Amino acid sequence: MFLEQLINGITLGSIYAIVALGYTLVFGVLDIINMAHGEIFMFGAFVSMLIVSKAGAPLPVAFLGAIVVTAAMGLLLERFALRPLRGRPGASHLASLISTIGVSILLENVAHKIFGSGNHLFETPFAEISFTIGPVTVYLVQVVILLISLFLMAGLALWLSRTRAGKALRATAENLETAGLLGVDTNRMITATVVIASAMGGVAGVLVGMAFNYINNQIGLSMGLKGLAIIIFGGMGSVYGAMAGGLILGLSETFVVAYGSSGYRDAIAFVAIIVILLIKPQGLFGQTPAEARR
Amino acid sequence: MPLEWLNPYHLQVASFMLINAILGVSIYVTLSTGQLSLGNAGFMGIGAYTAALLSTQHQVPIPVGILAGSFLAGVAGILVGIPSLRLSGVYLAIATLGFGEVLRAILINWESLTGGAVGIPAIPQMGRVILAWARDRGFSPESLGLQSNQFISLTVFLILLLGTLLTVAFFLRLSRSRVGRAYAAIRLDESAAAAAGIPITYYKVMAFSQGALLSGFAGALFAHSTSFVSPGDFTYHRAVEILVFAVFGGSEHIFGPVFGAAFLTVVPEALRAVSEYRYILYGILLVLMMVFRPQGVIDPALLRRFRRSGKGTPA
Repeated sequence: MFLEQLINGITLGSIYAIVALGYTLVFGVLDIINMAHGEIFMFGAFVSMLIVSKAGAPLPVAFLGAIVVTAAMGLLLERFALRPLRGRPGASHLASLISTIGVSILLENVAHKIFGSGNHLFETPFAEISFTIGPVTVYLVQVVILLISLFLMAGLALWLSRTRAGKALRATAENLETAGLLGVDTNRMITATVVIASAMGGVAGVLVGMAFNYINNQIGLSMGLKGLAIIIFGGMGSVYGAMAGGLILGLSETFVVAYGSSGYRDAIAFVAIIVILLIKPQGLFGQTPAEARR
Repeated sequence: MPLEWLNPYHLQVASFMLINAILGVSIYVTLSTGQLSLGNAGFMGIGAYTAALLSTQHQVPIPVGILAGSFLAGVAGILVGIPSLRLSGVYLAIATLGFGEVLRAILINWESLTGGAVGIPAIPQMGRVILAWARDRGFSPESLGLQSNQFISLTVFLILLLGTLLTVAFFLRLSRSRVGRAYAAIRLDESAAAAAGIPITYYKVMAFSQGALLSGFAGALFAHSTSFVSPGDFTYHRAVEILVFAVFGGSEHIFGPVFGAAFLTVVPEALRAVSEYRYILYGILLVLMMVFRPQGVIDPALLRRFRRSGKGTPA
C-alpha cells in the first residue's frame, strides 16, 4: 500500500514537475508568468487524445503531434502576445500578465468550442499491462511516464548547463541587455524559450492523458494553478526547484488523499506555498532574495 | 404605460456593472499602494457567505448582514495582509490567489455550514424584501406605472447605484487626503516613502484591508441581488476578472477600474448575438488592448484632456 502510493505520488509529481518547468523557463528568461501555459498544455493533451483514441495511431506519433502543435502555439504566443509588449514604455509587468491571461481565455474557449466540456477517453494501448514485484503492483504506464519525465528533466538540465545555446539562454535570463550586448540574439533566445516551454507543456499533456485515462477542458486550469504554486514553492526561475517542488506536491497530494481527506486535495498546493512564502519567501531553491522579492 | 422600456434584464446587467465597479475599485485601492492582490474573489466570497448565512439562518436584517459581511472580509484582509507584507509583485499575486483557492476548498468541504458545492439558495433578495415591505404599507408599484418585477429590478439597481457612488466618492476623497498621498508615495518608491517618515506597514495593511472590505461589500450586495451563492461564484476566474477590470480600464485613476468594470460587463452581453464566440473575442480584446494601450483605457493624461476640452479652451 505504502510503496504503491509512493510510486503513484512520484508518477504524479514528475508530471507536475514537467508542467512547472514550462512556467519556470519562461519566468527565468522573461520575468513573465505565462498564464496561457496551462491551456497550451491542455491542447497538447487534446491533440494526442485525437491521435491515439480517435485515429488509433501509436503513442510516439501522439507525442510528436502534441509537440508540433504546442510548439507552434508557443511561437504564436510569443509573436503576437509577448513581443509587441517588450521594451515598450508604459508597459508594466502587469501588461504581459494580462495579455497571457487573454490568450488563456481565448484558448480555453476555443477548446470548449471544439471539444465540449465533457470527459474524453484517452486510451493508452498498454494501459492494462502491469507487473508485480513482491507485494507491489506497478503499471507499465507509470514506468513510461517516469522515464519520459526523467529523460526530459535530465535533457533540459544538460542542455542548459552544457550547450552553447543553453549558455546563451542562461545569459539572457541573467540579464537581457548585457546578453544582447555580448552578441546573443536575445529575441531568438526568447522565442526559443517560449517554444521549448510550450512543447514541454505539450508532452506533459500526453503524460496526463496516459496517467488519468481521461481529459477534459478543465485540466488546463487545474494543472496551471498547480504549476504556478510549484514554481513559487521551488523558487521562481529555478529549474531544480520546479523539479523538486513538483515531486513534493505529487507525493503530498497522493498521501493526503490516501490517508486523509480527498476534498482538500486541490488546496494542498496553495497551503504549501503560503507556508513556504512565510518561512522562506524566495522559495525552496530561490537564490537572490533581494532581487526575487522585488 | 410610460415606463415600459424599463426592462428587468437590462436593469440586471446594469446591476452587475455596478457590483463589478465596486470590485474594480477594491483591487484599485490595493494596487494604489503597489500591491497586486488576486485574493479579492475570496474576500468577496467571505462577504457573500456571511451576509447569506446571517439572513437565511439567523433572520438578521439585510443591511446588518451586508455590514457584517463587509466587516468580516475587512478583518480577513488584515489577517491576510500582515503576513503578505513580506511579499510583493507576482509572489503576492500568487499567494493571494492561493488564499482564494484555499477558501474555495473550505466553502466546498464545510458542508454543514456552507451547503457545500451546491451553495446557499433562497437568500432574501433586496428588491423583493422592499416590495413586500412597501405592499404591507398599502403601496403598489402599479401606481408608479411599474410592474412588480420592474420595481424589484429598479430598486436593486438604485441601491447598488447608491452603494457604488458612495464608494467612488469616498475613495476619490481619500486619494486627495493624507492617506491617499501616502499610498501614492508608497507605490512610487517604498524606501523613499519610509525615509520620509510614512509608516509603510500601517498604510499597506490598511490599503489591503480596505480592498478586502470593499470586495466583501460587493459580495454581500451580490448575494442579496441574485439570492443565490455557490463556491463557483468566487473562483480563479472571478479573481482574474477583477484584475482585468483594473488593468483594462486603467489602474492609475479610480475611474479606470470603474470604466473597465462597466465596459467589460456590457461587452459579453452585447456580444450575445455571437454568444458562442464571445469569450474568444473577449480574450483577443485583452491581448490587443495590452499591445496597443498597456496602461489601460483611462490614464491621467486622458482625464486631463477631457477636463481641458470640458472648459472649452483648446490650446
